[in-house]
Amino acid sequence: MLVGIDVGGTFTDGVLYHEGKIIKTAKYPTATEKLQDSILQVFDDLLAGVNEQEIERVVLSTTLVTNLLAAGKEEKVALVLIPGPGLNLRQLPLFPATYILKGAIDFRGRITEPLVHAEVEEVAAQIKAQGFKQAAVVGKFSSRNHEHEEQVAQILQTKIPHLQIVKGHEVSGQLNFLRRMVTAYYTAATKNQWAGFAQEIESAIKKRGIHCPLHILKADGGTMPLPVSLKFPCETVFSGPAASVMGAFALTGDNLTSVVVDIGGTTSDLALILAGEPLHASRGARINGRYSSVRAFAVRSLALGGDSAVRWTGKEITLGPDRLGPAACFGGTAATPTDAVNFLEGGKLGNLSQSRAALAKVAQEAKLTEEELAQTVMNIFLGRLEESIKEMFLAWEQEPAYRIWEIVNKKKVRAERVVGIGAAAKAFVPALAKRLDSQSFVHTYAPVANALGAAVARPTLSLLLHADTRRQVYDLNVEGITGAIDAKAQMEDVKALAVKYLQEIARQRGIGQYADRYEFFREEQFNMVRGWSTIGKLFDVGIQIAPGVINEFKGVLA
Amino acid sequence: MKKSDKTGLVFFPAFDWAISPTHPEREERLLYTRDQLFEEGIMDLPQICQYQPRMAELKDIARVHFCVPNIEAQATEAHRIAAGGALVLADALMAGEIKNGFALIRPPGHHAMRVAHGNRGFCNINNEPIMVEYLRQKYGIERIAIVDTDVHHGDGTQDIYWHDPDVLFISFHQDGRTLYPGSGFTDEIGGPLAQGMTLNVPLPPGTTDEGILYVLDHLVLPVLEEFQPELIINSAGQDNHYTDPLANMSFTARGYAKLNEKLAPDLAVLEGGYSIETALPYVNMGIIMAMAGLDYSNLYEPDYHEEFSQEDPLRLKRLEQIVSELSKVFARRKELVAAARKKLGPVYKRSRYIHYDTDGIQEQQQETLVLCSDCPGYLLIESEAMGQLHGYNKVYCISLPLKSCPRCQGQARDLYTKMRHSPYNEYHYLYLQDRPEDVYLQYDYITDKERII
Repeated sequence: MLVGIDVGGTFTDGVLYHEGKIIKTAKYPTATEKLQDSILQVFDDLLAGVNEQEIERVVLSTTLVTNLLAAGKEEKVALVLIPGPGLNLRQLPLFPATYILKGAIDFRGRITEPLVHAEVEEVAAQIKAQGFKQAAVVGKFSSRNHEHEEQVAQILQTKIPHLQIVKGHEVSGQLNFLRRMVTAYYTAATKNQWAGFAQEIESAIKKRGIHCPLHILKADGGTMPLPVSLKFPCETVFSGPAASVMGAFALTGDNLTSVVVDIGGTTSDLALILAGEPLHASRGARINGRYSSVRAFAVRSLALGGDSAVRWTGKEITLGPDRLGPAACFGGTAATPTDAVNFLEGGKLGNLSQSRAALAKVAQEAKLTEEELAQTVMNIFLGRLEESIKEMFLAWEQEPAYRIWEIVNKKKVRAERVVGIGAAAKAFVPALAKRLDSQSFVHTYAPVANALGAAVARPTLSLLLHADTRRQVYDLNVEGITGAIDAKAQMEDVKALAVKYLQEIARQRGIGQYADRYEFFREEQFNMVRGWSTIGKLFDVGIQIAPGVINEFKGVLA
Repeated sequence: MKKSDKTGLVFFPAFDWAISPTHPEREERLLYTRDQLFEEGIMDLPQICQYQPRMAELKDIARVHFCVPNIEAQATEAHRIAAGGALVLADALMAGEIKNGFALIRPPGHHAMRVAHGNRGFCNINNEPIMVEYLRQKYGIERIAIVDTDVHHGDGTQDIYWHDPDVLFISFHQDGRTLYPGSGFTDEIGGPLAQGMTLNVPLPPGTTDEGILYVLDHLVLPVLEEFQPELIINSAGQDNHYTDPLANMSFTARGYAKLNEKLAPDLAVLEGGYSIETALPYVNMGIIMAMAGLDYSNLYEPDYHEEFSQEDPLRLKRLEQIVSELSKVFARRKELVAAARKKLGPVYKRSRYIHYDTDGIQEQQQETLVLCSDCPGYLLIESEAMGQLHGYNKVYCISLPLKSCPRCQGQARDLYTKMRHSPYNEYHYLYLQDRPEDVYLQYDYITDKERII
């Protein structure tokens, strides 16, 4: 049996899945101040009367890190940067306590300017005097050579023994100094609180006699074992939308191009599945408004939901951005888009006369009939979703490409299907699909698809291996692994090395059984020519266990 | 145009295109630039807006070039995407989405002339004129300045605008006596009716930031101020750099940034630059930073020293002479044109020999400008070219400028029709570049087929 729990902003959902069936679902309001309570409430509800030994895996998707940052409850971090030549960081909006050091490494990983030890010691003294307990050390091109980061961290550690230090190359090996800086900073700022939370959940679950693997859902739609998450707390941001997308992925399970529409009470999230593969954001997740190196699905959020307030401003009808309690048809007081649907469909969703009464109030102000108002509301609601969906497809088509074949082979894509997720999906998605001239898909379990997505998502792992046969070195974008490579190495050798590391790291992280399901997502090689002869090769090989569902998932009977 | 504060960027490194495996124009050329741009994260900044290139249409190319034997032979997919990258930014600029734009594209183009038989100086088709003619046709822009900052003389662009009184072409480059293509001297000032609209500054080898910025401050900027172009385009080569392996100049990345800050081009298009590790990553950053208004005071090459930028007094003296000579030419341009009009008969002819170094082709060209009192006139070109791998081709080309008068238009079209139906002649192909109608015709005498683009 598989357990999936998704902590949302308003509700925490859970499912218990076994052999093609959803055995049980649970839903409780989210206690924002103590997410543990909501999680365990849902957990206990799901497991009532179930034999603990039968639970094979538990996956959590949680907003803890997002909540910490939103509430400003993260720890203070001293940020130490080794930027070298380039952008003048002093002119960019950085973080409150930022220290900039001399020293530089270039794109080939060569040290072009040494560190100045006296300067590092001076910065260490300042950090000590300010009483920081957390620091992040980030160098430009540290993924190509992390010697400077290591040296600086070592000096800081010697001077301030209790200081906890996150090094840039450990959290991100992607080429992007600014995103690495943001990721390292927020990792340092949230890792202790995340660890406290994760361990509390782990021991609570163990106490209930459950000893199966406990995984955390990541923003890229994959899971990671809880111990791994202690090093990568930022990976958990945006796991909510990721759960919905994986839910849609699991419920459809084919190769169509779909737009996933998760309609909540206050907001709607949109995501794309292109020919059966969920689309990732090209720039990584934004944490507190800043781009990070956290890989996430490309999700667009609209302040528009089933419970958005319907108002007449004196000039026009507006929807949202706020929510005014539940829809009138479910006992609320104000008119909502849900009431508009309910009215137009003759009370299919809830109490028809309550919907009519709530709509009548606004209709009167706007000098419309209830029917005209309901139609207008639907038009605005669906129009905004449609517009955003078109923008998403367009943005995808306009993604930069760096090779001829990518541009020549770029195709125009359109949604073949609209997949509705969330409780309000069945009210809106059929009409939206009609407008987009595509199929509508709203599964019976659409309201808990997010929790199902968490329950059945498989672990993901993505590695980038960069090898320079001239310098005879290679580096890996995770855990700062580097090594020596033969001067005559060819693409097959580099790919074999990538496979070896993928399997090794997967094993270390406790997800070794998924390591044979890898795919290469990048295979680049460049001849280095100096003068008129080739003096070496540069390789970039990307290998991943892509997002998908675990073998135990056997579909869901409606 | 609406106001925008963004700098548009097309980055198309064509990682799957090379002239040959070890050629300077190979896959690796923008690899380290990519690494630097990506690692800096400059594309994440709100000042930068990245665009995807598109394929230029055949028409976009035919508007500028007479391609022999056909467009496809000269413009491969890579060329069309590079040119299309410039067009994407032209559209974004005109739509007001960006305040300026840099097309970081390859293959380059500024040595490609109006008649294109093959590759010369690593270029087949010329990206800036393709963009300029597109801007003129689609948006009605008239007056444009192209400043060619590549170390090599932009002889292709010069050829295309030689007779054009509305395009100011300024090229500064290493003295042609010491570097390919061996042209670009101060006496090359444009065709008789466009004198002073081409200005060439041959720089002594070794010229530094200070020298080039002197030329910018004392010649280029004052001339632009006087000309008042609607758009300024930087034909942005990066081989003036002190580490470039194919040239002998001493420009630095910060010098390039300063140049672009002062020149303030609306659009910049990458040309040459072959110091792929020690110059390009830094120079490209510098151009982007300057165009986006970002502080570049922390940008420097690993071995940079302040004194790299200082100029030798003797060289400075030589530059002063050149600047003074060209300033006078520009100031007298209207006089010179009026005098030429008086002196010339109904046509002006020039004949030239053109060498295609990359492809080993020799071209002999006879150009005839048919003069008109009401318009810039129209151009007739007879060209024959021979190359070991390319065989022999002889073509006749008729080019009508966008602003040609109805009488010239009629004459040119009649000439095309007449020649198309004359069965006995020595040409393989006949072309009509009808810009007023935006229609481009190519007639094949051997197969008796006409292609309309």
